[in-house]
Amino acid sequence: MQCLKYIVETRNLVKRFGDVIALKGINFKVRNSEIVGLVGDNGAGKSTLVKIISGVYTPDEGEIYIKGQKFRRLTPQKAYELGIVLVHQERTLSENHTIWRNIFMGRELTGPFGFLRIRNMRNTATKLLKEIGLKAMSADTPVKYLSGGYKQGVQIARALCFEADLVILDEPTVQLSISEVQRVLEYVRELKKRGKSCIFISHNIYHVYPVADRFVLLDRGKIVAEFMKTDLTPEDLSHIMVSIARTGKIPVEYEKINLIHSSQE
Amino acid sequence: MSRKSFNTKTFADTIVNTFNRYKLQVAISVIFLVLWLIFFTMNPEGFSEPATYAAITSVAPFTIIPALSLTYVIISREIDLSFPSVMALGGWVLAVTWRALGPTPIGVILALLAGLIAGLLNGLLVTRCRIPSLIATIGTMFLWRGVVLVATEGFSIPLGKFRGTPIFQVLVGRIGGIPMQMVWAITIGILLWVFLNFHKFGAYIYYTGDNRDAARMLGINTGKVLTCVFMLHGVIAAFAGILVTLEMATFWPALGEIYLLKSIASVIVGGTPVTGGIGTVFGTFIGGLILELIETGILAVGVTGFWIRLVHGLVIIVALIAQVSIREREIKRMRTIMGIG
Ligand SMILES: Nc1ncnc2c1ncn2[C@@H]1O[C@H](COP(=O)(O)OP(=O)(O)OP(=O)(O)O)[C@@H](O)[C@H]1O
Ligand SMILES: [Mg+2]
Repeated sequence: MQCLKYIVETRNLVKRFGDVIALKGINFKVRNSEIVGLVGDNGAGKSTLVKIISGVYTPDEGEIYIKGQKFRRLTPQKAYELGIVLVHQERTLSENHTIWRNIFMGRELTGPFGFLRIRNMRNTATKLLKEIGLKAMSADTPVKYLSGGYKQGVQIARALCFEADLVILDEPTVQLSISEVQRVLEYVRELKKRGKSCIFISHNIYHVYPVADRFVLLDRGKIVAEFMKTDLTPEDLSHIMVSIARTGKIPVEYEKINLIHSSQE
Repeated sequence: MSRKSFNTKTFADTIVNTFNRYKLQVAISVIFLVLWLIFFTMNPEGFSEPATYAAITSVAPFTIIPALSLTYVIISREIDLSFPSVMALGGWVLAVTWRALGPTPIGVILALLAGLIAGLLNGLLVTRCRIPSLIATIGTMFLWRGVVLVATEGFSIPLGKFRGTPIFQVLVGRIGGIPMQMVWAITIGILLWVFLNFHKFGAYIYYTGDNRDAARMLGINTGKVLTCVFMLHGVIAAFAGILVTLEMATFWPALGEIYLLKSIASVIVGGTPVTGGIGTVFGTFIGGLILELIETGILAVGVTGFWIRLVHGLVIIVALIAQVSIREREIKRMRTIMGIG
């Protein structure tokens, strides 16, 4: 089966919000144990695309294939069962509640009759905090007392916790200090080592570049270019992004390494 | 980095966190005790008599019981103003059924069912029709009161002849001098406390009030959670209505009206802010007791009943100031620990 090479594949995804067409026919693929850097300007549709893949939004047109299985629509629950975890750009934290409750929010471990397995969750959370380098932190701390970087850490711990096959990080490095950014990148490399796939969304090319295998450039709801990392430097990528923002096109000298052009024409 | 030192640290943290987590409940209990001491000093004889406590515990449950489930509603960042009318609806269904069939559990079941339906309606109006709960439940408040008034034409329904029947005893009898309604209030309180803190449903109620968008993005069906909360509140309000009706041995069409503000005040005094996401069942319970203690206490010390509202008002304000200052101090303390700001 052709599809099985890909953990996720979308065909002609279209998503509208009223008059705004956020996605205009997206064909997007993620291979097994591949890290895709999804880049594009504000409002390009990056978040919308990953929200469809993780079942938060339903597409207006098009199909989603996950591990070869075809879907017209997904629910967050279904996507999660298929091993897809999205770390949202918006803070999806319940600020008044403890770290361990937040890590398990919506996916609580329960025993008989739906009662929470509190000790189990607290211990797992404590272990996870240690793994992602927050060992000074008690799992009982309410999230509202954490700094921005630690809050992001809690959201990433969530994805780690569920042994996802595809982890989607939507702008995970905004508001992080340099050392915290390094930690996130370290975590992404760790994912790859474990054979997981990852979609990494960022505005900052210097954050995505070190970890991504392939770059997908989104502009106003369309994929305008795709490059292998081996084909270009971060400076090239930055140059291309600027050109897209100005003219909506990639500079001609890069067309020959653009994977989109060769495959579509 | 031995396993042992690690555990000791979490253990110490747990104790500190536990104390900090229950600071509000400690504060509210202190207010209760201070008030009790004041009343005791002003009328030591009255407040040594069991009859005084029997009086408090026979009426307090009517404020406390609906307030307990109202706590769920407010934690989920909604409000329900229709519960006094639902109390009346429940009482009326019971009265009519018992007049027709005698004192049977069927009456209780039908009354609770009426409460369930009233709660479902609130839930659907809020989650499906997207009407803010403040408005939606003003509508259903008039609706159910209207139903009761039209059906009874404003007349009360006497139920005195059922006094002393077993089912009556179970609901509002006395065991060892303790009114059964207080036993019910405590039972419901414990159940709601357990579910709020140790069950998935309780966790979802908190998240729905704390960050509804986040809860939704993480796959929690917040609409379903809210509908269940309103339904639960409906059932429990109807149950409270049954108890009031039987305690009075008469169904009054105006039943419940006096509990609207008292039950809401119990929740607020108990430390559940209207902004949702946090709150405790225990606080509400003590909050309700405080309001009832004031009512009984003021009469017992021999001042006129006109003082009741005034003292209620003062205590509510003091409790709110205490809560805000405890929360702010907690934030400062944690900031220092975390090394932020
Ligand atoms: N829930 C929504 N309702 C209405 N419009 C939306 C919604 N979500 C996104 N949009 C619109 O869809 C377009 C794409 O938004 P999206 O959030 O996917 O962009 P993005 O690439 O993630 O941008 P950013 O870098 O700012 O996060 C934007 O024009 C946005 O205004
Ligand atoms: Mg976005």
